[in-house]
Amino acid sequence: MFALVGRSIESLRQVARGLGTVLKHAAREPITKEFPDTMPQLAGHFRGRLALAVNPQTGDHLCISCLQCERVCPDKCIQITSHKSPETNKPELINFKIDHGLCMFCGLCTEVCPTNCIINTNDFEMADYSRESLVYDLKKLTLTQDESAHYYSKKELPMPKPKPKPAAKPAAGAAAAKPAADKPAGKPEAKAEAKPEAKPESAEAKPAAAAPEAKAAEESAAKPAETQAKAEDSAAKAIETQAKTVETATKAEETAAKSGETQQKAEEVLKAAEASTKTEESSEKPEEKTREIDLGRVPAKSDEAAETKAAEEPKKEGEQ
Amino acid sequence: MTTAAAAPYNIGEIWKFVRLSLIWMGIIFGAVWLVSWVVGAVIPALIDQAAGKDAVLHNLANIIRLLTPLIAVMVFIPINATYMVLAERRGLALLTVRKGPNRVGPDGFLQTGADAVKLLFKENIDPEGSDPLMFTLAPIIFFAPSVFGAIPLLAAVTSDHELFHIVNLPTGIFYVLAMSSIPVVGIVMGGWASNNKYSLVGGLRSAAQAISYEIPLVLAVITVCLLVGTLNVVDIAWLQNPMALAGLDNSPQAAQALQRWESIRGASHMAAPSISSIGVNSLADFGFLNWNIFGGDKFTSYLALLAAGKYTVEAAIFKGLAALLLIISSFLLCGLYLTGACAEINRIPFDLPEAESELVSGYNTEYSGIRFAIFFLAEFTNLFIVSTIAVVMWFGGGSSPFPATLYAPVMQALAGVCGAVNEVLKGIGLPAILEATTLSGAIWAIAKTYFLVYFAILVRGTLPRFRIDQLMDFGWKRLIPLSLILLLTVTFLKELI
Amino acid sequence: MTLELTSPELKTQEMIINMGPQHPATHGVLRLVVTLDGEIVKHVEPVLGHLHRAQEWQGQNRTIFQYQALIDRVDYLSGMFTSWAMARSAEEIDGLKVPKRAEYLRVILSEMNRITSHLLWLGTYLIDLGAMFGFPFYPFREREKLFDLFEAVAGQRMMFNYIRIGGVVRNPPFGWFDKLKQFLDEFPDRIDEYEAIVTENPIFLKRTQGVGYLSPEVAMNYGMSGPCVRASGINLDLRKFKPYSVYPEIDFKVPVMQEGDTWARYMCRIAEMRECVNIIRQCIEKIPGGTTEELRKTLGTTTPEKDDSKDLDPEWLLMAKKQNAGLRIKAGEGFSAVESPRGTIGCYVVSNGSDKAYRFRWRNPSFCNLSALSHLLVGSPIADVMAIFGSIDVILPDVDR
Repeated sequence: MFALVGRSIESLRQVARGLGTVLKHAAREPITKEFPDTMPQLAGHFRGRLALAVNPQTGDHLCISCLQCERVCPDKCIQITSHKSPETNKPELINFKIDHGLCMFCGLCTEVCPTNCIINTNDFEMADYSRESLVYDLKKLTLTQDESAHYYSKKELPMPKPKPKPAAKPAAGAAAAKPAADKPAGKPEAKAEAKPEAKPESAEAKPAAAAPEAKAAEESAAKPAETQAKAEDSAAKAIETQAKTVETATKAEETAAKSGETQQKAEEVLKAAEASTKTEESSEKPEEKTREIDLGRVPAKSDEAAETKAAEEPKKEGEQ
Repeated sequence: MTTAAAAPYNIGEIWKFVRLSLIWMGIIFGAVWLVSWVVGAVIPALIDQAAGKDAVLHNLANIIRLLTPLIAVMVFIPINATYMVLAERRGLALLTVRKGPNRVGPDGFLQTGADAVKLLFKENIDPEGSDPLMFTLAPIIFFAPSVFGAIPLLAAVTSDHELFHIVNLPTGIFYVLAMSSIPVVGIVMGGWASNNKYSLVGGLRSAAQAISYEIPLVLAVITVCLLVGTLNVVDIAWLQNPMALAGLDNSPQAAQALQRWESIRGASHMAAPSISSIGVNSLADFGFLNWNIFGGDKFTSYLALLAAGKYTVEAAIFKGLAALLLIISSFLLCGLYLTGACAEINRIPFDLPEAESELVSGYNTEYSGIRFAIFFLAEFTNLFIVSTIAVVMWFGGGSSPFPATLYAPVMQALAGVCGAVNEVLKGIGLPAILEATTLSGAIWAIAKTYFLVYFAILVRGTLPRFRIDQLMDFGWKRLIPLSLILLLTVTFLKELI
Repeated sequence: MTLELTSPELKTQEMIINMGPQHPATHGVLRLVVTLDGEIVKHVEPVLGHLHRAQEWQGQNRTIFQYQALIDRVDYLSGMFTSWAMARSAEEIDGLKVPKRAEYLRVILSEMNRITSHLLWLGTYLIDLGAMFGFPFYPFREREKLFDLFEAVAGQRMMFNYIRIGGVVRNPPFGWFDKLKQFLDEFPDRIDEYEAIVTENPIFLKRTQGVGYLSPEVAMNYGMSGPCVRASGINLDLRKFKPYSVYPEIDFKVPVMQEGDTWARYMCRIAEMRECVNIIRQCIEKIPGGTTEELRKTLGTTTPEKDDSKDLDPEWLLMAKKQNAGLRIKAGEGFSAVESPRGTIGCYVVSNGSDKAYRFRWRNPSFCNLSALSHLLVGSPIADVMAIFGSIDVILPDVDR
């Protein structure tokens, strides 16, 4: 009898404990993510919609029609059409189709791609009204230069080397790459040289080696920018080549966005960006601005920030 | 480690919930009040005015007056269920660290309205081989009793306002309990008529469960009736309401109230010395201790007499022990009732008739459209009604939990407001709309009822469900013996104090 | 506890009820043909195959490299373990020695996956018991946090494709280990909260204690594994029984319960989650090269470019085999198994040296555990069907493959 009463009291106590624990949760922060209003913070390596990147610096289409991705795809959802270019005797891309209705987003194609052209973007909203519209063609797949740059830095991919002859740009890639066509060929090569040099050296030695070339490259980049009608946008797209810290990229973006509409102003910003004095104060802000998860981010060190600043390369971009 | 583990707290969501609830309560309250005033006071008054000496029209006015409580309940139930569904969803969301429906209207204000509209427009599917008549009748039988059962309770929680006075049944609580046991017929009918094995099992389970748990439930209510000495819900609520007696020492109302009190309780039922010797209004200052959950005015009478020094030392100790036992018994009775009520209305942890992991959705598996909506509506209305019964029987109906002297200023302020409003109405030739005691009573009653409803939501968010045989075990082997023991104990204790 | 709702003189008609494949409580698409006498189960026949995707056949018709991306789907709640089982079989044939850092990363990610799998089980099991609305959200909240970490390192939340033949794909990004540590700090408190709500709850105890008793002999005879047998007193855990990877270097206990009932299975899984936290903590301390930040600091870079450079300490590498479309393993056959959240998951590979395997054969814990279901259910009331079925934690894709 007493045992029964004791057990009953203990049971009631446990139920009350459970109720209390649940009630405690009422004051907890809700975990609901109101998806269309607030976008999820996706990690850089997230495997979303497939896309074709262009060279972030030159805008060249990176696909060399090697058909590796088509061959490796477990779902056979990639279809590449290419022909042999009569001039260079190399395969030339005509069309690139990916059926996202078939794709299972395993990311194998991105792993085998020799030029890091096909990448998984962080875009996952692909709902559409028909199956046919899920088949993306080359135009729909190709990223813009700044998007490519964004994903290259986010996915920590090495920057692609430019093609030896920029003149032989793929015909279809022209849509995205047209403003880059008149860029001097010498510039990216200078950059490409600067990179392997700077890498093996320790952190202190880096700025010294990298700065002169990078500066030269920057000035050369500023010149064609004058010819652009919309230079204010071009200033916003800053690509870092050496230490690919996202902070510095977005910082430059911010400073550029703040500057005026005229092309002279854009130039001023470029120069201001060179000055290492500004790096400290503005390196804090952009963290909230980027949608990127902070996992993929590199903490900026003061000396590194100065060095990467000098290495930044303003991009001209005709879009918008 | 603990600092890292500290979860971020957010009062914002709670505040949203409170705000939402307050607005909805205002709507419920205002709508019911206004409708009953218009139907029960304004229209009959206008008819009377126009009628002159026409007896037929006067009779018509009286008929309309008689219909007032029914109409009030009919207005109340859908609006109230609309809020309760929303409260349940938002409340559960709060408990489960979610946000809940917050898209339709500000903070999801109109979510249930949208759902209701959706359900109304959905197709009514008659499953193959079903009994069409039974299938249609089942939700109605499930729902209708809750409408009728609510009427006496309406009078009880509004301090017997003249609009609802008409249905002041002397056997009110029996009527309410009888009504609340009819819905199970609807469940069994629906389960049988669906021509679905799961529905049938659900319906039969429901019947077995209702029969099992009605016994402790009714026994618990009977025990309180025994303690209080009346079956009238209005009187049961009134006896726990010290406000009715407070501050009325020399007024005619005081004498009237005292007379009523004596007539309900009967002085002979009280062991000497009687509370009458020091005046019943001394109970008023005990506030919530007058509620039946603390042993009702038996306990407070003991306290008042003790304070007045009417007991010898032995009697004080002896009666004190008895009073303590009475409090424990009353708590257990209340728990017993709430448990039984939970089973009666198929709430978790007793939701076996619709046990999702076993019976898909139980008796309402095959229902859709408006019939399902009625099942849904009735389920929530039943929850509200059993909570109201608990409030009337144990939590003092419409009484405030504060001592009368503390609460008197509030009442005065309320009376002032009500008087001003009524004066304005009188100026344009309309009957009075507000009465301070009724207003206070209704507010407190609805607050207490919703407290119990929220508790039911909390329970729903925590507990798993019983198995059917364990449910029967628990009902027959635990609750029924306990209720019989309590019946016996309280019968003795009542005479001892 | 046996239930006596029927007496010998009272004869009732038997009723056959189909539970599933569309019943709301069956996990996935299992169909149970239940023969009932009143509410008592007389006979149960699980009908499998609604989710059969020919996983083994697919492996034989795709290159090994392609198949690596598919096998996460075999047991979608613990994709790391299926990948790991296949990777170990292939490495066994190849005689590969996987770098230490990769092994540690495998253990960390796998134990995280074990936590997510058990958390999902915990939530859905409480749904099976009828706590529909409150509790199940709490385990899912923690599971989401882990999924965010998976997403950051592997690319997706459930279909990881992270463990490969010869190593793992990549180092976790910056800040990942800090987030993991933060999670590990708060997770034991969360388990305490679950236990406060569930473990001592009288209704839960009534529903689970003594229900679905599984004797050690039956468990052995049916070839069951995982927490189900450990709850019956058999100390069978491949991590201890036949140690693989870096588990010998880690100090951990294998929770074993003697009761053999549903409650013991629950307690076993709760204790396992606590052990997982312990294992991951040790791994973070012991991992060669340290966290990603420490590793990159040593390498003097901030990018993953040098993670696989030749001059690096071989123990710090991630991959012992070049991953490309023509990935081959040597001719030969191999079987190896890992301890998944559901039990022993094994993969048998016969390779003829080409880029496609000649034969794949999976040994799935869910399938073996499910086979004991008809034994467990007979004699219990229909209300316990889901309680017992839920407690053995089968994943239907894992059963049907």
